[in-house]
Amino acid sequence: MTVKLTDEEKRMLDGECGSVRRTCMAYLVEMAEIAGAERLIDLDGTGDMHTPGLSLSPFYEITEDELRELVENKDYFKIPTFADKSPFPENSPIDGWEKCNVCNMRRADCRLDDPEYHKKAMKEETYELLRKLGVMTSHSCANYLTMGYLPSIGQHCSWFESSQIPYCNAVLGARTNFDGSFATCFLGKAPYYCMHLTENRLGTVLIKTDRLIQTDLEWDVFGYAVGAEVRTAVPVLTGTAKPTTTQFQKLNSAIHTGGAVSMYHIPGSTPEAPTLEHAFGGRKPAREALIGEKELRAAYEYLNYHDSDEVDMVYLGCPHLNLVDIMKTVRKLEGKRVKIPMWVMTNHWVYPAALEMGYVKALADCGVTLMSGACFAAMGAVPEGVRSIAVDTAKQANYVTGCYPEAGGHLQVCYGTTDECIDAALTGRWRGEWR
Amino acid sequence: MRKIRIKGRCEYPGRVEAEALVSTAPLQGFTNVDIDLGCTTERDHPLFMVPYEGKVLVFPSARGSGGFQKYGRGPHHPAAFIHTESSPLNVLCCLHSHVPSMTDFERDPMEVIETGDMVLVNADEGYIEITKKD
Repeated sequence: MTVKLTDEEKRMLDGECGSVRRTCMAYLVEMAEIAGAERLIDLDGTGDMHTPGLSLSPFYEITEDELRELVENKDYFKIPTFADKSPFPENSPIDGWEKCNVCNMRRADCRLDDPEYHKKAMKEETYELLRKLGVMTSHSCANYLTMGYLPSIGQHCSWFESSQIPYCNAVLGARTNFDGSFATCFLGKAPYYCMHLTENRLGTVLIKTDRLIQTDLEWDVFGYAVGAEVRTAVPVLTGTAKPTTTQFQKLNSAIHTGGAVSMYHIPGSTPEAPTLEHAFGGRKPAREALIGEKELRAAYEYLNYHDSDEVDMVYLGCPHLNLVDIMKTVRKLEGKRVKIPMWVMTNHWVYPAALEMGYVKALADCGVTLMSGACFAAMGAVPEGVRSIAVDTAKQANYVTGCYPEAGGHLQVCYGTTDECIDAALTGRWRGEWR
Repeated sequence: MRKIRIKGRCEYPGRVEAEALVSTAPLQGFTNVDIDLGCTTERDHPLFMVPYEGKVLVFPSARGSGGFQKYGRGPHHPAAFIHTESSPLNVLCCLHSHVPSMTDFERDPMEVIETGDMVLVNADEGYIEITKKD
């Protein structure tokens, strides 16, 4: 074993601090060895994990009995920890499941709108135990907007979910790798490598553009194209406007879909890059790349994947929609009626706020269903009979067709602006284009 | 037979020799890999629906979801992973699969290995040895 452990960590590994800490520590030591990390770091920020999360991997498992024992001993998670989207592996919507008409994994015995199946999928007994241990069941894929308790600049965290990793590092200036799990959050420790070290957070690739990036769609397409260009590097984005919160959501989900970008800088906008020079730590960029009109159009054409303008269904809410965007959607639809099914997906904690604001009813009056906790890609399916969807998000456009590989991918995806998606919901036709 | 040896870093140990399957594009998991079929289901991908079972899967980098780890899961997993750039996605894949994996090579294996070459992955001793198919 090459990983250096403290005396306390060794005691955990030896089982002196209970079986759960032993399992978690063994898992972390294995992770550190694979990653080439010399030691673990004590986390002082927040955690995000897919839940229930008792299976750390096929080789490390925590049992329900062990969980119960932790509760009886009044044990608790070391760092404030939030649940990612709907319980795994079913990924059933939490609110609005009754109307979803989805067979999970396309298996006839996994109907997500079956009350019995839903009850089982929610795993209430397990969640009650997790809540007693301190886990907050927000069930959000955008916990950075949901948790109401953000890590501060420089704090060490352990998060999961591709879109959240760059949000934590680049937008909040906190430090996380893609490793949020029961083990990291319960012990408050993670392998010390990659994003926890300052030198790995400095910019390496200078990104220029010849089109001012300022609309939601431009940020989404730009993020996807930058991710695909730089892969695992740290890009420094120049030539853009200042992103809104919604646009940061778009950028972060797209940049870790097109690539595996854990960190980026926008000089003047993100906290570790007050200037271009700071972004690169005073060094010269390893290379420059242009993500201009030509590259943006190519990314848009990849994401906008259909040969018919007929749309069966519209989906908004990837990442889970924030309250402001729900309000805007309500304003745009008021007094109208959709012609085809339309879902708006948020998370389980924003849903009650939307209910209180009257948005759930307002959307229902337009024929639109507000739901929480899931998404098409996570459910591994679209509703039965749907062959063409309209979305305003690169991440969903990129993943959802993978669920239907037969005949070269028979699910069609119309991709464009939120307004173009709403227009499709009202008309059943796609009229979007790259302008 | 021409043999080329390249030193690299062991991510997950093991020693295995098998035929290479090279992906010119990064690989993405989650919905874009099907572990029951044992192939990528990502549309427009060079390895779309090409089986990877028992192959040394060679690729530039992983991208996207933490569900990249599905590449190592199920009965159809590759014999080993070789990739140019590393990220926490590869770490997750090793944790979930225990399939031999190497990265951080002294020379980019993507420039040397072609689909059909035989590749000895000796992660235990930190090198790969390529036997060119021609």
